[in-house]
Amino acid sequence: MNAGMDGNPRADGPAGFGRPEASRENTAIETAALTKRYRRATALTDCTVIVPQGRISALVGPNGAGKSTLLRLLTGLASPTSGSALVLGGTPRQDPGFLADIGYLAQDVPLYRRLSADDHIRAGGYLNQRWDAAAARVRLRELAIPLDRAVGTLSGGQRAQVGLSLALAKRPRLLLLDEPVAALDPLARRHFLSTLTTATADAEDGLTVVLSSRLIADLERVCDHLILLAESRVQLCGDIDELLAEHTVLVGPRKDTTALERTHTVVLSTKTARQTTLVIRRGAPLIDPAYQAEDISLEELVLAYMGAAAPAAYAHLSTVGDEQ
Amino acid sequence: MTWLTWRQYRLQAAIGGAFLAALAALLLVTGLGVAAQWHSALAACGASGTCGSLSGTLSLGNHAVGFLVVMTLGVPAVLGMLLGAPLVAYEAESSARVFAWTQGVTRRRWLAVKAGWVLLAAAVTGGVVSALVTWWEGPNNALLGDAFSSSRFELMGVVPVGYAVFAVALGIAAGTLVRRVVPAIGITLVGFVAVRLVVDLWVRPHFMSAVTHLYALTSTWAPGGSAWQLASGVVTPSGTRLAMVDGTDIAPNVSSSWVPQACGGGAVGGRGSQSAVLSCMQSAGYRQFITYQPGNRYWPFQWIELGIFVALAAALIAVTFAVINRRDA
Repeated sequence: MNAGMDGNPRADGPAGFGRPEASRENTAIETAALTKRYRRATALTDCTVIVPQGRISALVGPNGAGKSTLLRLLTGLASPTSGSALVLGGTPRQDPGFLADIGYLAQDVPLYRRLSADDHIRAGGYLNQRWDAAAARVRLRELAIPLDRAVGTLSGGQRAQVGLSLALAKRPRLLLLDEPVAALDPLARRHFLSTLTTATADAEDGLTVVLSSRLIADLERVCDHLILLAESRVQLCGDIDELLAEHTVLVGPRKDTTALERTHTVVLSTKTARQTTLVIRRGAPLIDPAYQAEDISLEELVLAYMGAAAPAAYAHLSTVGDEQ
Repeated sequence: MTWLTWRQYRLQAAIGGAFLAALAALLLVTGLGVAAQWHSALAACGASGTCGSLSGTLSLGNHAVGFLVVMTLGVPAVLGMLLGAPLVAYEAESSARVFAWTQGVTRRRWLAVKAGWVLLAAAVTGGVVSALVTWWEGPNNALLGDAFSSSRFELMGVVPVGYAVFAVALGIAAGTLVRRVVPAIGITLVGFVAVRLVVDLWVRPHFMSAVTHLYALTSTWAPGGSAWQLASGVVTPSGTRLAMVDGTDIAPNVSSSWVPQACGGGAVGGRGSQSAVLSCMQSAGYRQFITYQPGNRYWPFQWIELGIFVALAAALIAVTFAVINRRDA
């Protein structure tokens, strides 16, 4: 599964980990070599990430990259094969105090299909010491979602909103959302994300959010932190602005890149007959003037790392240093 | 958690309550009839002095209702399949448990409250049904004295409570292990019937060591009260126990094939010689025997059986807790 990872320029570890400015902040999530193996496949390999408190982190990666597994490990719904996770200062565990701090919404929006949204809100009141039923009702009424109908009869978008409202009603310190917008149409997607941003802005004491998606474009506007998973491994982790600042797109003549690689890390190189496009992580400010340097967009960055992680899957987009 | 449990099960509770009320009404009305019939029969036989043969002539109650009463043997299995099996399996199948398991209660508490209420409901249902049936069958027990026999022992007293609790616990455990409602229902049914049969056939007869009574070949004897007869036949001088299997007999309990050579061997013929053969065998040391559990052990046996099924239920619930705690959701 991980063939092709050897010789990867970033095999020395995920970017962004252990940087002083990251470790000085309070961390909401800190994992070390977190690994989850199932009988047939490894879902997550040596995952080491840090999410500082108060961030909205985009957990991005293709299908089967390990996003859901990581989120489930962070909630304690699953336990790791090896490695460790610190979530809000403790190991995910069966403890009312820990559970109270985590808001989680799984991809399939797990709810009791025959119960209504109002039933869920009432149940939540009994199941949680901290529970803001009024806010959940207000939010759902604003969205014109019927409170008294069985949630199984609601549309996917409405169900997702119910799930989000329930997760927020816990007033969690960490909100983990697994592909919350995947099933939504563009308008519902916008509603959902604006609900989320309003809620994070309202939360006084540093709500941290991790939300996963296959596409960064879904999340770009609301996130300030990125975890990129591909092939069950972390490819990138860090502050989005810093990541963008560290990476550059170089467009230049088709020539040997060995010299360039002495100072910079080439993430991805795309070669056509006449020119080479390189995505590099700069090791020094100076860049060969033969290349034209351009700022990188978040989407380009994500695609470059995804392409580098799974060259075969992205062969139509790029060639990865195979001519050297 | 209690509220959520009630919210999830209130429909089942209403349906179950309605069935129970209907059964209670039916049994109360017909049971009063049975009691009246019994008392007038007693008065009549007392007047005519024929009470000794009453059990051979009197048939109490309506056959359809009697059949329904026997059918209550199935109540625990139904509870196990409808309340126990879906308890964890339905939520696993629909992934709804992820909602419950990410609220501010631990899985342990989630299971403890849910399983606790459902087990209590099962125990109460089993108890109410058993109380109704025990009362309804009272005259029959007095008439036939067979409350200790296998099929009637399981119908009355406290054991139906144990069966109900066990069946529901089995359903919960099966549903937790297979995480699918329909297979869990199947496992519950098969497992419940299997365990009941094993206890009935091979375990219950040994709750206490049975009493064996030996008596002369030429006499008759029966244990007093409503004893549970386990075996009867002839014991040889060397201690081998012989039980009647075929129909060729020289006395109700004695097969002609058992007659030793000294007393004429198998070639015994003619009714006149039978008493001679029997007294020959009697003096050679042959005796009739009856192995039984005395009638005064009925309640100890009820409590032992209840204890066994409650203990099995507790073990299954313990397994469920361990699995729920350890396995990934």
